[in-house]
Order: sequence, then C-alpha cells, then structure tokens
Amino acid sequence: MSAVISTTDLCRFFGDGDETQVKAVDNVSIEIERGEFTAIVGPSGSGKTTLLHLIGGLDNLTSGSVNLSGTNIAEMTGTALSDFRRDHIGFIFQAYNLIPVFSAEENIEYIMLLQGVGAAERKRRVAEMLAQVGLEGLGERRPNKLSGGQQQRVAIARAMVSHPDIILADEPTANLDSKTGIALLDLMKELNEQHNMTFVFSTHDDKIMSRASRLIHMLDGKIDRDERK
Amino acid sequence: MQTASLAFRNLFRNTRRTVLTVMLIGFSLTALIVFDGIMRGMITLMVENITGTLTGEAQIHRVDYRENLDVDLYLDNAAQIESQLQQDASLQAFAPRVISGAMISSSYNVSAGLVYGVDAQLEKSISKISEAVVEGAYLSGEESELLIGISMAELLEVGLGDRIVLTLSEVDNGELAQALFRVSGIVEFGLRELDENFAFTNIAAARRTLGMTDQQTHEYALRFVTPLSLTDSSSDLLNELNNGEIEALNWLELNPEISLILEISRYSSLMIGAVLFLLASLGVINSMFMSIYERIYEFGVIKAIGTRPGDISKLILFEALFIALISCGMGILLGAAIGAYTSTSGIAFGEMEFSGISLNNAIFSEFHIIQFTQFPIYVVLLTVIAAIYPARFAAKIIPSDALHKSL
Repeated sequence: MSAVISTTDLCRFFGDGDETQVKAVDNVSIEIERGEFTAIVGPSGSGKTTLLHLIGGLDNLTSGSVNLSGTNIAEMTGTALSDFRRDHIGFIFQAYNLIPVFSAEENIEYIMLLQGVGAAERKRRVAEMLAQVGLEGLGERRPNKLSGGQQQRVAIARAMVSHPDIILADEPTANLDSKTGIALLDLMKELNEQHNMTFVFSTHDDKIMSRASRLIHMLDGKIDRDERK
Repeated sequence: MQTASLAFRNLFRNTRRTVLTVMLIGFSLTALIVFDGIMRGMITLMVENITGTLTGEAQIHRVDYRENLDVDLYLDNAAQIESQLQQDASLQAFAPRVISGAMISSSYNVSAGLVYGVDAQLEKSISKISEAVVEGAYLSGEESELLIGISMAELLEVGLGDRIVLTLSEVDNGELAQALFRVSGIVEFGLRELDENFAFTNIAAARRTLGMTDQQTHEYALRFVTPLSLTDSSSDLLNELNNGEIEALNWLELNPEISLILEISRYSSLMIGAVLFLLASLGVINSMFMSIYERIYEFGVIKAIGTRPGDISKLILFEALFIALISCGMGILLGAAIGAYTSTSGIAFGEMEFSGISLNNAIFSEFHIIQFTQFPIYVVLLTVIAAIYPARFAAKIIPSDALHKSL
C-alpha cells in the first residue's frame, strides 16, 4: 500500500519567546495509507485540530513537510493551494459549516462549480450523494431547515462529491448526540469501504474511536501512541 | 455566475444592515442629484440676474473707460456702431447709455452716485429697470424724469415728484454742471449696490447735462439671440468690434470675479459629492467588514474546500456591486421625485444676495441626464472601489485562523 498522507518532522509553534511559545504540533511524522479510516485522538489542546489543519493545508507550518499523494503542500501558496484542496481534499468541520443561503443541493454542488463540472454531471452526482447519505427529498432545504445530523450528512456529501483522495474531518460528531454521531460515523465508514477513500478524523469520544481502524493518540503536540486495529 | 448568485443572496442575510447601507449610499446619491440640480438652477438664476438686471450679456466701451468711468472716454461714432449692431443677426437688442458719477442732492440730504442716461424704449429689451419700478412710472422720455433707487430715496428723504439736483462734470472741459430733475419713479432691484447708488434718466437729458452730442455714448449694452452662457460666451460680433479704441466684452469678462464665483459654484457639486461619497465609502467599508467578521467561519470553510482567494474577493466585490446598484435605483427614483417637485415649484430662499448677486427669485432646480447617468456610475465605481480593501482582507483570511475564531 502507498502512503497517501505523509508528514515528516511536522511542527507548528505559536508565539515567539521560549516561555510563551506553544508547541501545538511538535515533530510529528506519520504515514497514512490509501483507504485507511484513521482517528486522531487525544484530550483538548493535544494538537488534533492543528495537525488536521496542517495536513489539509489550512495552516502555515513552522517546519517539516506534508506530502499528500506525493505533493509537498508546504511549498504551495494562494491559488495553487486552493486548487489542490479543491481537487484532492474533502473537509468536514464540527458544525455550521454549510453556506446558509444555499440549499442542501447547492451546498453539495458548490465544489463542483469550482471545479467546472458540467451541469448535467453536477445534477447526477448531487442526486447520487444525497441518496448515499440518506437525504433524498431534502435537497432543496436550506441548512436552517435541517437537523444537526442532516447538516453533517450534507457536509459529508459535499466533502465526497468531488471524489477527493482524502477526507479530513475535525470532530465531525462533536455537536451531535451520541446516537446520531455513531450513525454518522457508520455512514462515513461505509463510504470509506465503498469508495476506498482515506478518512482522517479527530475525536475524543470513546464510542466514535471504536469505529476507527487506526488510532493516532496525541498528547501535548506529539504522537503518544499509534494503534492499528 | 455562482459567485454573483451567492453574493446576491448574501445581501439578504442581514437585511437590516443591507437596508442601512443602501440608504446611506442611496440618500447620498439623492442628495448629490438634488444639490447639483439646485446649484445649476442657482447658477442659471445668477447668470440671468447678472445679465438681465443692468449689465446685459455684453458691453461696448472706449478702451480704458471702465477703469475709472472717465466721462471723457466716450464713443463718438454712435451712428456707425449702431449701424453695425443693427445689421448683426446674432444680436437681439442693444441700448446706448451715458454714465457719469454725480452728486445727487435733495432738499434734505446729499448722496454720491452713478447716473445712467438710458434710451427708455431700447433699455426695456436689455435691463430690468422698467420692471424694478415700485413707485411712480418708468421713463417716458420727458425732460426732467429721474428714477432713483429705493435706498437712495430713503437717504435723500424724497418721494415721487420731489426735486433732485444732479451736480456733475461736463465732458471734455470738466466744468461743473447742475441740472434739476423730479423723482418720477423709485426702483428696487433687490441689490444693495443698485438700490443705494444708482439713478436713471433719459439719455437726451443726460447728454445735454454732460455737454455731449447725440453721437456720443459711454456704453452699449447688448443682448444676443442665443444668450452668452457660462460655458459658451464667445461671439464673433464682439471679436469684430474690438480694436485699439473700442473694447467689446462679454458679461464674464466684465465681471471676472463673478466668473470665478460661478466656476466655484459649478465645482461645488463635485466637492459636496466627494465629501458625501467619502462618508458613504467609509460606511461601505465598515458594513463590509462587519459582514466579513460575521461570516468569518464561513469564509474559512469555503476557502478550505477550495475557493480561490480571487473568488472570495469577487464575492465581496459582487456584494458591493449589488448594494451600489440597488442604492442607485433608490437614489435615482428619490432624486427624480424631489427634482420633479423643485424644478416646477421652485425653492424660495427669500431675498438673498450671493457675492453681490441678487437672488430674490425662487430657484428652480435644473436636471440633466448626466445627474441620472454619470452620478450613479460614479457611485457604483466608488462603492466597488471602497469594497476592494475588505475584499482583499477576506481573500487573505487563513482558513485555520477563521475556523478557530468562531469556535
């Protein structure tokens, strides 16, 4: 298997001086294979979100490198980085991550518009994704007319519709009740198996962790333990 | 297209703020349209008052006469000049005048002033002397008739029929001459200088008192078929008349200080517009930044999923564009409504003197297509330009910072 995500001596420090400097991510080197369903776990402040942001090119790293599908994204800036994220990475955030003035369908369609996908193909893929995440018939609803769980399903559909190599999810179930959260993780797992996409998500929920095939434990910005099931 | 659609929908996310911003820009445009209309109306009124009250649209004198109003510097070929004036098709009317400084005495008081000897009939086509008569009657051609300004009448404590003695210097020899007149009318121009210092009599009586022949004249006042305006005051006739002895000047050349005032008035709309739109632009910048900060998490998300920085800039600029277009619609409609009213009903400011120019009539706003085309274009451009700074800010948002800020 080939590593779709590879970080080498990845560091992200905040602050300048020795006393005030916070080492959010400190010398992290990991490799994640294609199709893995990986959870980054750890207590609050352990660096899970920062690591996800660095992997996704959402934050500027202090040192080290991040290779996604063989491309070092640390060397990318501006439009090139935006285009890379658009074509290779799907993001799912905690909550409230949909464009509120767009319907569920339009939110899913948005990324394909950025990619310049034709109208007929967009329509087909939106319908397909809505069916996959169990939201048939709800496509025309705006986010404020959907429950938290339904909104996250739309976010999952949006993340997957462009067929990215990697999906990064930052505490995707944090704002959901445990039953809905588990259902959502099961859906992600199912999609992971169906499409062989690489899922990396952060969580500190034990029930969610049990769904992951690999657990990367973080503590104080470092990898404390790397556990494969 | 998607960016434009998203931008348009975003306007309705915080309707109150959008409405307030639209009102700020729209009312600024309305204010500019109305102000410019009033300024144009005021300039027209000022020009009418300058050229219509006494000056005319142009005057002919001997060279150097205007410097000291020296009575010896007269035109002595009246027949030849009048013949030339009569043959010129561009000229609507002209009137000869004899002018002299004089001591104007009543039984009770004395005042220094200017006495104009005018042709009663020809003068009606040039000045407003006949319309300014508030007591008595306009000149009929009788020997001893004298019209005096209302303020002068009060100073001299005279009324209709009272005697007035004019003391002045005869031309060429400088001998003092006196003549007795009776007040046949009192005039009120609403302009202090004219009402306090001017008296008018028949040109024949004035010439006789000054020892001038009927071929000698100090001034010709002219009125053209197509009025000499602020923007086009050139005339072939005036160019032809000018030579080493005679100077023929249009009203702008006769009143260079007024020309400057009118120029300033013309540009006042630009200055007011600049101030208004500077304030409106700051409002737009403020509104846009509020909107960006309110949606910063969303900007983080859309940037994270692959929206280019340039597309985020475009989104903000489109929002500004739509706000500007809606504002222009509102501003144009309101400006047209107010303009329609003020251009037909006029705005009465009461008796007013602006830089020595009487403005005692209602000002009728003047509206031109430029106010409803160019001004809105400026508004749209300025609004979009004002949005560049917030747009650049939004484009530079680092997704991880934006996502942290609202969590």
